[in-house]
Parts: sequence; structure tokens; C-alpha cells
Amino acid sequence: EQDLVKEFVALSTRDRIRAIRDLPMSFEEKKHIRLLSQFFRRCGYSIRSARQTLELWQGIMKEIGGKFGTSVLSYFVFLKWLLMFNIFSFLVNFGFITIPLLVYDPLPNIPPNVSFRGLEILTGAGYFNHTVMYYGGYSNETLVGLVEYNMQLAYFFTIAVYMVLCGLALIFSMARSFKTNYVLAESTSNGAWQLLCSWDFSITNERAVRQRKSNLRVQLKESLSEKAQMELLTLSEKLKHFGVHLGSWLLSTGLAVGCGASIYYLCQYEQQEAETLLVPFVVSLMNLVVPLFYSLFYKFEHYSSQRTQIYALVVRNVLLRMSILGVLCFYWMNVVAKKFSCWESRVGQALYRLVIVDFLFLMLGSFFGEFLSNVIGTRLLPRLGVPEFDIARNVLELIYAQTLAWIGIYFSPLLPAIQIVKFFILFYLKKVSLTQNCQPPRRTGRAAQMHTTFIALLFFPFFVGALSMVAYTSWSLTPSEQCGPFRGLNNTFSVVGVWIDDLEEIPGSQWVVWIYQHVIRSELFYFLITLIILVIMYIFWQVTQGRKDLIGLLRQQIVNVSV
Amino acid sequence: MGNKQTTFTEEQLEAYQDCTFFTRKEILRLHGRYRELAPHLVPLDYTNNPDIRVPLTLIVTMPELKENPFRDRIVETFSEDGQGNLSFNDFVDMFSALCETSPRELKTIYAFKIYDFNRDNFICKQDLEKTVNKLTKGELSPEEVTLVCDKAIEEADLDGDSKLSFSDFENMISKAPDFLSNFHVRI
Repeated sequence: EQDLVKEFVALSTRDRIRAIRDLPMSFEEKKHIRLLSQFFRRCGYSIRSARQTLELWQGIMKEIGGKFGTSVLSYFVFLKWLLMFNIFSFLVNFGFITIPLLVYDPLPNIPPNVSFRGLEILTGAGYFNHTVMYYGGYSNETLVGLVEYNMQLAYFFTIAVYMVLCGLALIFSMARSFKTNYVLAESTSNGAWQLLCSWDFSITNERAVRQRKSNLRVQLKESLSEKAQMELLTLSEKLKHFGVHLGSWLLSTGLAVGCGASIYYLCQYEQQEAETLLVPFVVSLMNLVVPLFYSLFYKFEHYSSQRTQIYALVVRNVLLRMSILGVLCFYWMNVVAKKFSCWESRVGQALYRLVIVDFLFLMLGSFFGEFLSNVIGTRLLPRLGVPEFDIARNVLELIYAQTLAWIGIYFSPLLPAIQIVKFFILFYLKKVSLTQNCQPPRRTGRAAQMHTTFIALLFFPFFVGALSMVAYTSWSLTPSEQCGPFRGLNNTFSVVGVWIDDLEEIPGSQWVVWIYQHVIRSELFYFLITLIILVIMYIFWQVTQGRKDLIGLLRQQIVNVSV
Repeated sequence: MGNKQTTFTEEQLEAYQDCTFFTRKEILRLHGRYRELAPHLVPLDYTNNPDIRVPLTLIVTMPELKENPFRDRIVETFSEDGQGNLSFNDFVDMFSALCETSPRELKTIYAFKIYDFNRDNFICKQDLEKTVNKLTKGELSPEEVTLVCDKAIEEADLDGDSKLSFSDFENMISKAPDFLSNFHVRI
């Protein structure tokens, strides 16, 4: 009967009525099945309705899409999606880690000579150091209240499960985005047909429509007057191009490494509380200024298409940010972890400062990037014109901000709360800045493929980097002795070992112990899994190749048959 | 559920939810928008399925469609009589096919019908010329328009009959991943 109900839920009303009529059952049984399938359908609809009432910012998104088009809207959709990650993370952390501690011990044990000054909001140290904001504020006991709540296990598993769920969500959305946006042949990127198909139906603003039409006109004229793309360059010209490319890549990589090295050197100067703001300030300043410098490279570097140029710019920015983050993580794990007691709280504070200063600089960047450009473009240098909204730069800033939150989750469980406020304010700020200062994009860009690229960037290297750092911390580094939920243990992961030892005494859970000892702790299992995955990937790859060949053959057949 | 509304019966609302991508609240909101276009024509009570059609001239005054170069073709495609007079069912159907969750196959079918101006199930050169003129406001010279159309047909036509059948169109759409997000009207 369950199978019948499942089938009927998926049919439409008329089909369902007909199908129920055809059943060889008694009338009572048919009525029962009808009621059941109707009930499930109604449940499905009410879930859909409920999900819709929770949708944020629908009206604003419609307005932005109507005036600026789908590609600019994709930035705001991405921001909303990242906000959901943070809301989920905050709820999970607050619910499973903070609330039990607050219920058990509501007053934070602050030493008597520390009081709240205003500086804490910026530096995160001082008063906040002794609250549940950071790792150091959590106890390592088993709280006895209504139930026995093991804080160590709770802390470890909450963070581990959250990271795993994030990773899965990212992988799924990357796969889904790749599936919808996968393009088989890269043949005509600027062809007439592409341009005709690219009309954005969601634009409703009259001026935007007029502008789009004139942009399309310009692009059509360009595509008509295209000369042969394959200009045969002479050998010396090819060498010259190669030299210029090599030089600019060396320069950008050198800049990234140089920034990283100077940050490492500056990290030594973190003694007093006010001085601790120096490093985040310099980091954000570099993240603001150096990409501007990179975008000047296009003046002397020639790429074959505009898309390659954008990708090169994105790769350089990613290199810069990864090197800065890498140097900071290296410093935290190798120097701070060995020098200070309660080092996790210090790392948490450093991340808090980075997040806050990054937010201030995002606001500043919006001011300079959009407001000043608008003023310059309209009053001072009319040749430049009204600026466009730089989607790539803004999305990279979002990805960087989210990476900071992901690294910081282990050291400061309530950091997602700050991130939620930050993203909320950022949404409205960017919306106002966009509507006041920017014009709709001139080229109808490849929004869908850029979207796939951005999600792929979010996942690898940023999320994987954050995950590796947290994993390395919990695997290899010794937790501090005086504070935090893991004090006294050799490393964080041994919490699981202790739990498994406890479980061995309980008779019903021998299978958990067996799984832990023979699956999770054995290297052979991981080796076999990796081998199987590699084989499956190879099979799928061959199937894809075969299908590509088949499509080519079929296309040839169509031409032959019709001629 | 407790939502007291007298516009539709529960069966009608369920039928709408079955056949479109909208939720209950959206359908009621759409009815409000439909009624706004012609308040003297469209009754508040739809429980007995009145046969009312709002003419094309009123539908294209909606802000979502007003500036769209293809507004006439869109409304004609979804109307039952082909003249652009939409009943409420057609109205809901139109916005459902153009909404965000509508699948690619559905959008491709309707896009083909919209671009096929003379409704002969082929996109021929005249159809393309009309499209180009609508999209460039007639500022390209006639030779340029002809060149663009020739180039477009050359790129897309697989079977060499110098007009595009549905399979040619579908093939070209599969190479344009932006189509799915661009062919979308927010309501």
C-alpha cells in the first residue's frame, strides 16, 4: 500500500482519480488510499509555502534584477546563499555548544580588574577574552543537569559535523551548477546567435532596456566586422607576448609572496592591545590596493579573449589572498601555539579583528570603488563614464570574508554571529551603492559560467584550505593546558579515542567500537576507498568521452541525411 | 489551513498548484495582479470558473512586460486564441513557464514559439529579421540586419534547409548556458 500511495502522490489530480478508479480493491480501501495521497500532497504544498515565507529580500532582488540584469543579481544571490551558511552555523554552534554552558554556568568568570571598555569591539581582547565568545571560555567537564552533557564531545562533533555538511553542500551545488551550465563545444563565443539568445527577459527598467539594446547593437556590429581570429603572429611577436606574460605573472606572484612575507614580519609587533590592530589593517589595505594594481596590467598585457583576462585577474587575486591567509595560519600554528598559554583564544581574537577590519575596509572599498568612481567619471573625467559594478572583485571579497569565518569557527564559535551582521549590512550597503553609483553592465557576460567558477573557487582552495587548517589544528597541535574544552589532552582528536574507550564498557555498542578501530583508524580502508573512487572517476570520464564522440557522429549524420 | 479566501475553491487551488510552479499564496497574489489590469472585467469570485479574457493591450501594460521587446509575442504565445487575450489560466500558465524553477525543456519550447513569429514551426529568416529589429530598435542598416540573420542561421542550421527547426534551436540553446537564467520574468 505504501508503494501505491507514493505513486499516487506524484500524479496530478485527474490522473490520480483515474488511477484510483482502476484499482482492484474494495471501496473502503480506495477511499483510504485517496485520503492518504491527498494528505501527502497537501503536506508538500504547505512545506513549499512555508519555505517561501522565509525568503528574504525578494522585493529588493526583483528591483535589482529589473534594472541591472541577471549577472549583477548573481552577486546578491551569492551573498544571500553565504548568509544562509552563517545562520545555520550560528544556530548549530549556539544551540549545541553555548546554550548548555550558559544554562549550567550563566555568569562568565571574569577576573576582577577587567571591565568593558569600548576598544573591545575592535580588538576582541580584554573583556571578551573571558566570555563564551572564544575557545577559552568553554569548560572541559561533563555538565550534569537534566542530562549528562559531555562538552568535549559536543564541541568536537558540532564543529566536525558542520564542516562536513558545508563541504557536502558546496560539492552538491558545484555539481548542480556544472551540470546546468556545462557547454559542450566552445565554438562560437561571440556568434550572432549567442547574442540573439542572450536577451535578459528580467530587465524591466526603461533606461536599462534602452542601454541593453544599444550594447547589443555594438556587439552585433563587432561580431560582423570580426576579421580572422587566427592572426598569424611572427615569431618575434610571439616571443614578445610570451615574455610580457611571464614578466607579469612573475611580478604578480612576487607581489603576493612579498605581501605574505611582510605580514609575517609585522606579526611580531603584537604586544600591546592597540598595536594588535596593525596586522589586520595592513592585511585589508593590501587586499584593497594590490588588486587595483593587478587590474592595471591589462594595459600592456594582451590576452586572446576578454574571458581569459578576467580569469587571469581572478587567479592573481586568489593567489594574493591565499598567500596572506597561508602566512597568517602558519604564524598562528607555529609561533602563537608554542609561545602563549590559551593560544586558541588569541587566534580567535586575531580572526575576530580580521573580520571586523575587513568589514570596515569593505565599506571603505565601496565608497572608493563606486562612489568616488562615479564622481570622477561624471564630473572630473567624463571620458571614463559611470562605473560598472565589478562582480568578480566583489564576489572574491565575499569568498575571502567567508573563509575567515570558516577558519575561525574552531577558535571562536560565535564568530558566525558577527558574520551574519556583517553580511546583512553589506547587502543593503551594496544595494544602495549599486543603485546610486553604477550603470548596468555593458557586455552581456557569461554569468552562468562565472557562477560555476565562483562556487568552485569557494570550495577549492578556500574551503579546503580552511578545513585543512582546522583539521591540522585538531590533529597535530597540543591544546592549551589552562583553558578550553580540550585541556589536558594530547590532541583534540583523542577526545574520540577517550569516548570509544568509555563505550567499550557499554555492552550494546560494540559495533561502534569495531567501526572505529577497523575502519576509521585503519589506513587500508582509506587506501581502498581512494582506489575505488579513482576507478569510478576514470570510468565516468571514458563514458563522457564516448558520448562526445557520439554527438559529433550524430551531428555529421544529420548533415549527411539532409543534403 | 485557516486562510479564509473566497476567490477560489480548494480544488481549484490544488489544481493550480498541481499544474504550475506556484504556491497557494502566489496564485492568490497573481489573481490580484490579474484583476488590477481590468477591475471592471475580472470578478473577485472565481469559484464558478468564469470565462473572462483580458485583452492584449491591457496585459502589456504590466511593469514586468512593459519594456520587454517581445511582450506581444509572449502574450500571443500563451493565449488560447492566438490573439493575445489571456484568461486567468493562461495568465498563470505564462508566468509559471517563465519563472525561475521552470525547467530548461519547458523554457526552450516556449522560447521557440515566441521567436517563431509566423507560427509555421520553423524560425525562418523573416522571423530572425523581426527579432533583430526588435532587439536593436531598428538602428542597424537593412544590409547589416540581413548579414546578422545569415550568420545566425549559418551557425545554427544543422540540416541545411536555411531555416531553424526545433531541434536546431534546442541544439543552439544547449550551447548557451545563460539562456536558462536570462529567459525569466520575475513576478
